[in-house]
Amino acid sequence: MRIQSALKWAALAVAAVAASSYATNYSLWINGRTGGGQLGNYADFTYWGPSSANAGVNKKAVNWDGYNHISDQNYLVRNALDCYCTGNNWCYIAVHSAGDLMIGYTLAMYGSSARYKKTPSPNSSGECTNSDGTTQTGWNIKWVDVAAGAGGGSELSDYGDWAVSEPLVSDLKTSTARAMYDHNNTRGKIFYMYAGAKGTLYSGALPGQDDEAVAYHSSGGVSGSSGGSYCNPSDWFCNDLTLGTGANEGGRAKWSNHSVVFRDDGESYNHYTNGNWGGVVSRVRADMELHAQ
Amino acid sequence: MAQGPRRRWLWWLTPAAAVGLGWLVWTFAGEPQAAPVSAAPPSAGARPAANTSSQQQAAASAAPFSAAGANARQMQLALWQQRLERAQSALDAYRSSTRYPHESRPASEHPDQMQPNQPVAEDHAFRMPGTTGSANGLQLKTTQERVFVQGSESVRFTVSLRDSDGKALPLRIVRAAAREVPPARTASLYPEVPLDFNDEGNAGDAAAADGVYSARLQPATQGFAGLLGQIRVQVFMQYRDLQGFTYFDIVYSGDAPASWQGGPREALEDGSLNFYLKADVREAGRYVVTGRIDDASGKPFALLTFNEEVQAGPQEFKLTLFGKLVRDAKPQFPLTLRDVDGFLLRPDAYPDRKLMPRLPGKLLASKEYPLASFADAEWSSEERDRYLSELSRDVTQAQTRIDQLATGP
Repeated sequence: MRIQSALKWAALAVAAVAASSYATNYSLWINGRTGGGQLGNYADFTYWGPSSANAGVNKKAVNWDGYNHISDQNYLVRNALDCYCTGNNWCYIAVHSAGDLMIGYTLAMYGSSARYKKTPSPNSSGECTNSDGTTQTGWNIKWVDVAAGAGGGSELSDYGDWAVSEPLVSDLKTSTARAMYDHNNTRGKIFYMYAGAKGTLYSGALPGQDDEAVAYHSSGGVSGSSGGSYCNPSDWFCNDLTLGTGANEGGRAKWSNHSVVFRDDGESYNHYTNGNWGGVVSRVRADMELHAQ
Repeated sequence: MAQGPRRRWLWWLTPAAAVGLGWLVWTFAGEPQAAPVSAAPPSAGARPAANTSSQQQAAASAAPFSAAGANARQMQLALWQQRLERAQSALDAYRSSTRYPHESRPASEHPDQMQPNQPVAEDHAFRMPGTTGSANGLQLKTTQERVFVQGSESVRFTVSLRDSDGKALPLRIVRAAAREVPPARTASLYPEVPLDFNDEGNAGDAAAADGVYSARLQPATQGFAGLLGQIRVQVFMQYRDLQGFTYFDIVYSGDAPASWQGGPREALEDGSLNFYLKADVREAGRYVVTGRIDDASGKPFALLTFNEEVQAGPQEFKLTLFGKLVRDAKPQFPLTLRDVDGFLLRPDAYPDRKLMPRLPGKLLASKEYPLASFADAEWSSEERDRYLSELSRDVTQAQTRIDQLATGP
């Protein structure tokens, strides 16, 4: 009996070692402002909705506090990318709102850094151990889905509608968000942009179409050091946010490798998850379900 | 002596490991583990909503020749065609984007990075926080010279109120001041500094009586010397009986972590044109340095970046103009290196950077080089190979699945 038991455990150990070298895909979800999930707990989807939702293969919640500065919290994202997106393992990334700023900053600032390849078994802090002691340049990321991206900032920060004493809110000031890093530098990964337009409450503050927290200039990845007014084609008095990677009506380019795949012409999607993968996030979740395999 | 028996144990383990590995492969390769939230309905401009029900697969394989089975297979086929499209899109974009290294890019890909010393100009509604302000039709135009500020640099801020026809309106600046935004739960050591926003041609105002109210802040001489942090300039305004508010943020680093030593030099090496900038590095760490290249006509041509770990001491930052980029675009020589900026990246801290002194304007005009002296090969690296291999594999897998579905069960 003891021999059988030893064999069983040894077999499992060898299989586990073998599995660590087997290529696995992961779906990483990076939250936005307010946070809510436990930091370093990749199974905690509190920010998004029920964790039973189908949100891509091997989904992981990359939780950060959604309150402090992007740069202060960035280690949490780098930890997750190190864990799941190095060695033989590859990642699909989905982000919401300020999560756009977070992943864009990570790739632009640290995308060329040497990363230790990790075994994807995190400790309680969300850190993983080195697998074989070797490094690689950057992370293995196939593409990025962006719901209601705040990479271009929000006028709700500019005007003080959000508490300007909050560190993240100062990062989300349009001039600051756009100056923080080179948004065109995604290291070759496509950012698929999903832009909602069901905003009414702040239409006086947010230019063009908005989802009640960010305007199209941000959620559509419009380049430049400041925001602007971009709309659906039905609005004749405002430049269109165009689909795809091409320049918008009026000539202003999108950031490189940013492609608008969902523009809310029906004005049906707002910014908020509502604790159930709601708003624009519902579109991204569906896309992850389909493509992140 | 003890190694012999251990090796025999390993032979026993081989089939068990294979079974275990097989189980793991089966587990990881299966459909996602969770029940789906109902997919969102499609709307204009959207891709088709996801429909990956495992029941389709089950129906397709359980009764492949029934009407339900055929229908399920068609749906699977449509699904995999979407996956193929996505995989191909990711592969094509990556391949095209990485013909040149990430650090040597065409200017056309980075239009908002080519004029780093242009002021940030913004339009805002004229309002107070928490009010709508949308009905009055008034536009507050603002500019600020820069966001990240170093050493003895100053920043000019302007505000200007316009009506719906663009006509300048008179403003009363009720109050304007600069103050440190200290870290949370920390008191500021720097007193608030009043600022004189005026339209009288004084203290940073470019022209009197043009409706543009300006102020200039030089942190090093106006109370913020020694600060590494955030400064906020708040402006409270009034037009007739309407109140308005805006604020500007800058991030200030007083002491430079490295200083430039002399002018840049150029060298044609391995089919690329390298620009070297000498620096005395006082603080080791990851430095991000960016330079711009114009062609002979002054048209922006390329954005060059350095992003690497650097040791303390005398160093040279190398900005590379990649050979194939020159070969493809055929710019008119001489090329000009201009507007270089750089900073030490401070991981997991705020501010996240300490700025080096800015190098504005033209820094070096290159020699004339024949086009043939530049290499025509695409960028090659372990990183690119790794990506192209993986993304190609995704395309192949999707295509294989489509072929299987198209040819029947």
